Amino acid sequence: MGLVLRSWAANEAAKHCAVVVWVAVSAWLFWRTFRLFSSGPQYYYLHQMLGLGLCISRASASVLNLNCSLVLLPMCRSILTVLRGTQQVNSRKARRLLDKSKTFHVVCGVSICVFSVVHVCAHLVNAVSFSVRYSDDFPALNVAQHRGQDPRILILTTVPGITGVILVLILFLMFTASSYSIRVCNYEIFWYTHNLFILFYIILMLHVVGGALKYQTNVDTHPPGCIRTNQTNSSSYTSSNQVPETQTKAELKEMPHITVCKEDAHFQHHFPQTWLWVTAPLCLYCAERLYRYIRGSAPVTVVSVIRHPCDVIELRMLKSGFKARPGQYILLNCPSVSSFENHAFTLTACPTQNKETFGIHIRVLGDWTECLSELLFPALNHSEILPIMHQRTYPKLYVDGPFGTPSEEVFNYEVSVCVAGGIGVTPFACVLHTLLGGWSQYRLRRLYVVWVCRELQCFYWFANLLCDLHHKLWEENRPDYLNIRLYLTNTQQLQSFSEERFRPLSSRLLIGRPRWKDIFGEIGQSNQHKKVGVFCCGPKSVSRELHKLCNSFSASGTVFEYNKESFS
Amino acid sequence: MGKIEWAMWANEQALASGLIYLTGGIVGVAGQLKGWEYAAFGIAAGVFVCLLEYPRSKRAKGTNYERTGQYCFTVCVKAFGPLTSNYYVRAFLHAALCVPGGFMLATVLGCVCLGMASLIYLSAAIHGEHWQPIMPKSEPAKSVTQSIKHPPQNPPPRPPAEMRRKRAEDLESAAYVNPLPVTANE
Repeated sequence: MGLVLRSWAANEAAKHCAVVVWVAVSAWLFWRTFRLFSSGPQYYYLHQMLGLGLCISRASASVLNLNCSLVLLPMCRSILTVLRGTQQVNSRKARRLLDKSKTFHVVCGVSICVFSVVHVCAHLVNAVSFSVRYSDDFPALNVAQHRGQDPRILILTTVPGITGVILVLILFLMFTASSYSIRVCNYEIFWYTHNLFILFYIILMLHVVGGALKYQTNVDTHPPGCIRTNQTNSSSYTSSNQVPETQTKAELKEMPHITVCKEDAHFQHHFPQTWLWVTAPLCLYCAERLYRYIRGSAPVTVVSVIRHPCDVIELRMLKSGFKARPGQYILLNCPSVSSFENHAFTLTACPTQNKETFGIHIRVLGDWTECLSELLFPALNHSEILPIMHQRTYPKLYVDGPFGTPSEEVFNYEVSVCVAGGIGVTPFACVLHTLLGGWSQYRLRRLYVVWVCRELQCFYWFANLLCDLHHKLWEENRPDYLNIRLYLTNTQQLQSFSEERFRPLSSRLLIGRPRWKDIFGEIGQSNQHKKVGVFCCGPKSVSRELHKLCNSFSASGTVFEYNKESFS
Repeated sequence: MGKIEWAMWANEQALASGLIYLTGGIVGVAGQLKGWEYAAFGIAAGVFVCLLEYPRSKRAKGTNYERTGQYCFTVCVKAFGPLTSNYYVRAFLHAALCVPGGFMLATVLGCVCLGMASLIYLSAAIHGEHWQPIMPKSEPAKSVTQSIKHPPQNPPPRPPAEMRRKRAEDLESAAYVNPLPVTANE
């Protein structure tokens, strides 16, 4: 039991702590603002007019301020990549929290929607209150022009009202286009509506300028609830304080907690607090986008294009000043195919001291990749005779990145297990490529590679790489460093590698789906009392099963830490 | 790049606006605010829109993502035939349903959101899309190949026990050989 708890805590505790902290901060902010508006003396008259609607709308506005500023931070990808790289500064626990940045962005976004609904409802109630409880004593407090004015006119003719309506519409568009099915099926709708966020923030800055809610500035000279000397005000204080006209001023002074006003109440707009919350993250995000735009504006040189079996193309490119770590990915843009689409591909070869080119493996599935492959391999069935010095003209490509992923942590564990499904092997191929250049300088002492594919031909993508690394490690007397397991799920015919040079792979090829519990049990036995990093890049079902297994593993004192790779 | 399916987005919007319309209607009726008849209409319209929009349409190309338990709704919506599969009809229906919401403060938001969904449906209809039900696939029964139906009745013929035994002086004429060559461990 204790071991299961330890596994669960190693995997889930940090995430849940972060969420608890965020919830606590939001709740405290809500409560503090609520108390301020319900019992603060400077809001006494306003509270009398508006009631509970005032407190709820202001409290939800303060939580909205917090979330609107936090929601931008997880999307500053270059900054997060740099944070990931500074390994001396951060602990691995903090870096693992960075893996969940997209989830945190979604959580903040959902809470923005929820609190916007609360805020809008409260302000609708306020609009009705402004109209019904029009104050004759303090005309400066009013937003309505006369008693009983239609609240819809109030909403549509004030700056906060009309900007609020536009904000809600933009939020509605963004929220409805962000569901999982739309992101998978029509990514463009999601991308273009989500870029409306910049309009959202600009209108948000205008929304808070309107200043419909005012606070009283002279609370010391005009304590709330005091009586004016010249008139009896039956509407400005509760009936228990009502003073009949016959009482003299002297008698009034004797009565406790009834004071005479020295001057009339003055009211003033708030300073727009939202500007303080939102400006810094917005500037940071805009700076990062500008930096990415400048960095990605130089086209890359295509060095070679290689066709692999099972519809995979390897693209080798060269770009000056491009540095990447294994496990990172890039965003590829090809204007000849589509001007605005950026597609993510993991690097399979990073630039090193000896070789400056970097490479990606592209699986052709979908219209963008099909167009790209047609441009890279023009149709070969034309009969014209090519001149001898025929220059292959490749389309212009732009590369944005590299961006960090959880797979960068493979080298920081003593033992790592890399589980790949099909083309998901690309981040681990980059790891293997880097190990070819030298393995002793990393903390990694043992690497398990479990690669599951449907077709035998798929293994040929990296068969050479696997065999080369296997031979190198055998020569250097580290046979236990690399453990390869290949699984072929297509059980139609008995297949194996026929080539002699792929002998190490053919003996490690297994037919059928892998049994994860057995594999983990075996790895646990060989690595007792160690912390093993599990990296998965594959279908959701495999990922879910591995995550559950990591959370509940309790044999042999080994703790499996789960790291999941995800793009969209 | 590829064809954008507007109907999918319009469907999400319409479902969300149906819920907002419903909520606004409930608030209006519960608070007995001025014009609560419009709020009551808002409740009915909101429920109707949610029921109509719950089943997702089948995509022209690609995998379908059903909503949980949408099969019974699919059957009901399919029964109305061209009334529900044509998106022009849906666009005008939503536009008509949203108008009464504008007369009351609580349902104003639902009115505006449903209006936007109606516009996106119009765009989908102009692009030639229409609603198709997602029916569960009936798997054809796996046809067993001929050879398995009639397994052999008799064992294969083999020589008598005398000949089968491997004799030391006559290894060549033994009736069996080792199927795999025995080599050193890899």
